Amino acid sequence: MNTIDGSDRHVQTDSAPPPSLLAIVLDTNPHAWAHLSSSLSLSAALANILVFINAHLASGNANEVAVIASHSHKATFLYPTPTAPQPKARNGANGDVAMNGTDDSKGHHIAENPNKYRAFALVESAILKNFAKLLDETNESHLAATPTTLIGGAISLALTYISKSTMLHAPTAASAESMSLAALADSENAHVDRIPLTSRILIVSVSGDLANQYIPVMNSIFAAQRKKIPIDILKLAGDTVLLQQASDATGGVYMKPDRPEGLLQYLMMAFLPDATARASLVIPSAGGVDFRAACFCHRKVVDVGFVCSVCLSIFCSSNLPDNLCLTCGSYLSLRSALINPPALIPRKKKKKRKVGTDSATPGASTPAGSSTPMHP
Amino acid sequence: MSTAAASYRKQDGTVSVSADGKAVSWTSSSGAIPPLSIIIADIGNLQQTPATAAKASIKIVVPDSAPQPGSYTLQFTSSAARDDQQTITGLLRKWIEASKTQAAPTAAPTGTNGDGASAAIALAQTVAVAAKGSDDSYDDAKLLSDLELQMSLLNTNPSLRQRFDRALAEKPDTVSLGQFSNQFWTTRVHMLRSHVTEKTQATGTYNVLSVIKSKTVNGALTLSLTKEQIELLFRQHPIVQKAYNENVPQLNETDFWERFFHSRLMKKLKGERIREQDVLDPKLDKYLQYDEAIENSDQFIDSLPLFINIEGNEQNHSQKQGNRPDFTMTPSNYDKAPILRVLNRMSEKMLKDVPYSDGDRHAPVGVDEQTYKELQLRDLQRADDDNRVVLRVQDQSRFFSAGQSVQSSTSAATYTKRTPSQALAILHRDFEAISANQSKAAGVDLQTTLGINDDSSSDEENATSKIRKVGGKSSRSAATVQIVSAIKKRHLHDDDYSSSKAMPTSEQAKKLAISEAALDNLTITHNTTIEFLHYFWAVFHSGDSDRANEVAKLIETLDKSLDRIKAVADVAEADRSIQLDRYRKEVESYNQRSGKKRKFDPQNIKGGARAVNQVVEPLLRAINAARNQYAEALQEQMSQVSVGKGL
Ligand SMILES: [Zn+2]
Ligand SMILES: [Zn+2]
Repeated sequence: MNTIDGSDRHVQTDSAPPPSLLAIVLDTNPHAWAHLSSSLSLSAALANILVFINAHLASGNANEVAVIASHSHKATFLYPTPTAPQPKARNGANGDVAMNGTDDSKGHHIAENPNKYRAFALVESAILKNFAKLLDETNESHLAATPTTLIGGAISLALTYISKSTMLHAPTAASAESMSLAALADSENAHVDRIPLTSRILIVSVSGDLANQYIPVMNSIFAAQRKKIPIDILKLAGDTVLLQQASDATGGVYMKPDRPEGLLQYLMMAFLPDATARASLVIPSAGGVDFRAACFCHRKVVDVGFVCSVCLSIFCSSNLPDNLCLTCGSYLSLRSALINPPALIPRKKKKKRKVGTDSATPGASTPAGSSTPMHP
Repeated sequence: MSTAAASYRKQDGTVSVSADGKAVSWTSSSGAIPPLSIIIADIGNLQQTPATAAKASIKIVVPDSAPQPGSYTLQFTSSAARDDQQTITGLLRKWIEASKTQAAPTAAPTGTNGDGASAAIALAQTVAVAAKGSDDSYDDAKLLSDLELQMSLLNTNPSLRQRFDRALAEKPDTVSLGQFSNQFWTTRVHMLRSHVTEKTQATGTYNVLSVIKSKTVNGALTLSLTKEQIELLFRQHPIVQKAYNENVPQLNETDFWERFFHSRLMKKLKGERIREQDVLDPKLDKYLQYDEAIENSDQFIDSLPLFINIEGNEQNHSQKQGNRPDFTMTPSNYDKAPILRVLNRMSEKMLKDVPYSDGDRHAPVGVDEQTYKELQLRDLQRADDDNRVVLRVQDQSRFFSAGQSVQSSTSAATYTKRTPSQALAILHRDFEAISANQSKAAGVDLQTTLGINDDSSSDEENATSKIRKVGGKSSRSAATVQIVSAIKKRHLHDDDYSSSKAMPTSEQAKKLAISEAALDNLTITHNTTIEFLHYFWAVFHSGDSDRANEVAKLIETLDKSLDRIKAVADVAEADRSIQLDRYRKEVESYNQRSGKKRKFDPQNIKGGARAVNQVVEPLLRAINAARNQYAEALQEQMSQVSVGKGL
């Protein structure tokens, strides 16, 4: 997918795969982790994920990682450590500010362990420190407010980070100058000097009840799809509906472990290959995908629903107040075919009732199959 | 008979329309060019320069399907050129219309009596006119009633035909052919519509020179040129016709073409660069200096509808702003890349023969008021009204705020066992374990935290504690098993994007371990069943009690589908039991011969009814959903009827 032929031709000496950015969205919902603590504690999971990150970083010199916590009251970066939006000093006179900033983020007390690769140690200490901070900020009222996690915001953060990194890797737009007459004649061979960054998102999810974030998550899915960013899902607990669609739509891996205790094995076997490697692998898939959507009115997952023809909101029943769409307020009308009760007993010839007007064109409103929600 | 002074190919002469309205002709006054005569009924397109143009000329296009195809541009030369133009075009138009109305009704019955070609054109024209005249031909109802169109679509689409025939054969008897086909096509109106469009379109001319290629046969280079290709070549490159006319009696025809295809002239026409070492040809090289201007005059550029005026760019003088125009846009550079110009000219030539469909072909050329207004980029103008549809989206979170508490959902229910403070405490305690390690200068000891200890055997692990250890051997191997099975499953389904979509049935059947015939059978049953499911739901929801019998019959048909699937499954199962027997004997004889005990495992033979049922599982679900809903609704209505009677 990522082999742009221009790179073959230009960077012939460098045959290494392109650098790979892994954005991990870690669902840190305290409810769920407390619930899971008997089989897989959060600390064990973190350690497993740290090893996985190390493996990712070790498999390519230029590989990068970002870790985002999707917590119950906010979504925040665990790595790289977010810097407070400080206005930077324009001229170099006040160098202290900048220096302080970097000092803070690198952490002055990184353990100098001779047996640990420094790059690994940096990531590890940043993640643990930031997570500790996040945990300290959390109080009971946050937990009481919601049973689930802010997955939509976390995915958005991951996407924006990836987008920013991709731009930093983008070409400098100078190659247009070198376009020769010959190149113009066969424009097929037009090339761009670019080292593409292959990115992917891994969501380690433990919460259910994501249906109420249906819209933001769906939007993120479409954004990822467009940018060709696979979203991998490791579903340790909770119901699956929404995230399974995410991995299916973006061509990512979906895994719901039978035995969460084997977490590291799952991570290493199913999720370590990046997009470049996956091109030549059969990736594990869960088989049937639950494509059902959640209704906007009760966030119930529906088999057959009704879709607003203006804003595409989904409703579980056609009985809307005043027949107005709850989201956009458009007036919606249902075809009589959908509200007519089926008449299955042949009626006696003599009591002639008015025949439904649209009986002349059967199938003008075919409810195709059983799973297509529609609202003409 | 009316006449006017007009020039054709820069030669003065006289154009005349015959009194009976059958032909228009032109004769040269000097006799330098042979006279022209065009049958009016053959004319496919007539164009004239607008009243504002400096020259008054008309262009007559005769389509390829006519006996003498070509396009002819006549420029009126008298002092009253404009009036002449009006008279002649007026006459021509009148006669063209007359010939059409005459030809159309007689076209079908007298198709064979010699005049077939022109009748066919007239017919084609009336069809084309009808198509653009109104969009009625794309109307749903019209499409659904057009049996001929439906037949023609079925004939071009074998798989659709198969589906139609099968479903027709299996339809319940009470459903009439009309009802059935109406139902069949209502779900496929889009196919009918695109078929109509397809049928009204025809392929235009193509660049002949690029098609003619020499082949090596028996070591000798040979050229194959068809008569049509030569005609097209003459039309696209008049200079070749000139060369041919002036040389062929002297030269052998084959010699001429052979020389031509090696000549510099050919290279020039193709847009290739002519090099020093290219062979010289005294006969043909003189045509290299042909005057493009003459050809251009024939092109009637004026008549092309100006959609957007690109010449307007000239006013936007870019040289002074610093950017040179692209080298392809500056005239002095034409010789550096002749191919660009040749291709452009070729496209122009091909386009000019195509009558444009979005307008009256006999109307004066040029942009009319309405089109001009349409072309203006109104939305860029400041005073333009905002005509967007405003969508007032309300905050969706308010729908969820109700009931968005810990108690609300399935997974949330399990969380209620702990209070938030307890949950938080667990997390704090757990996290302390890992961060305590970290504060010791060594960082996290991942090795111990992971809990992987390859020395321990899985048996030991089970003996010491019943709790599954994180990272324990058994957990890890369970994970491996799950992933490998997922990979296998994916491999079987092969719905990987990279793999080709069309896998032959034989291969698919092999993967499922059922016979190809069985799979074919299943596919057909699936298709027809889907057809009847569509039909069922349409009638079911119609709410029309007159059609109640139809619904009942359709349910019977669905039942039959179940039977059919079962029959396939039975055959597959029988196949499997034969294989199973053979396999058992093999194992037994092996055990007797070798004295070893090889185990007989029936799982080794795949396929059979299980494989079949696995394939049709979604279909079964769909059928059952229909049957259940029907049964439910029927029961409800029965009870209502009996209540009604009781009263
Ligand atoms: Zn609802
Ligand atoms: Zn709406």
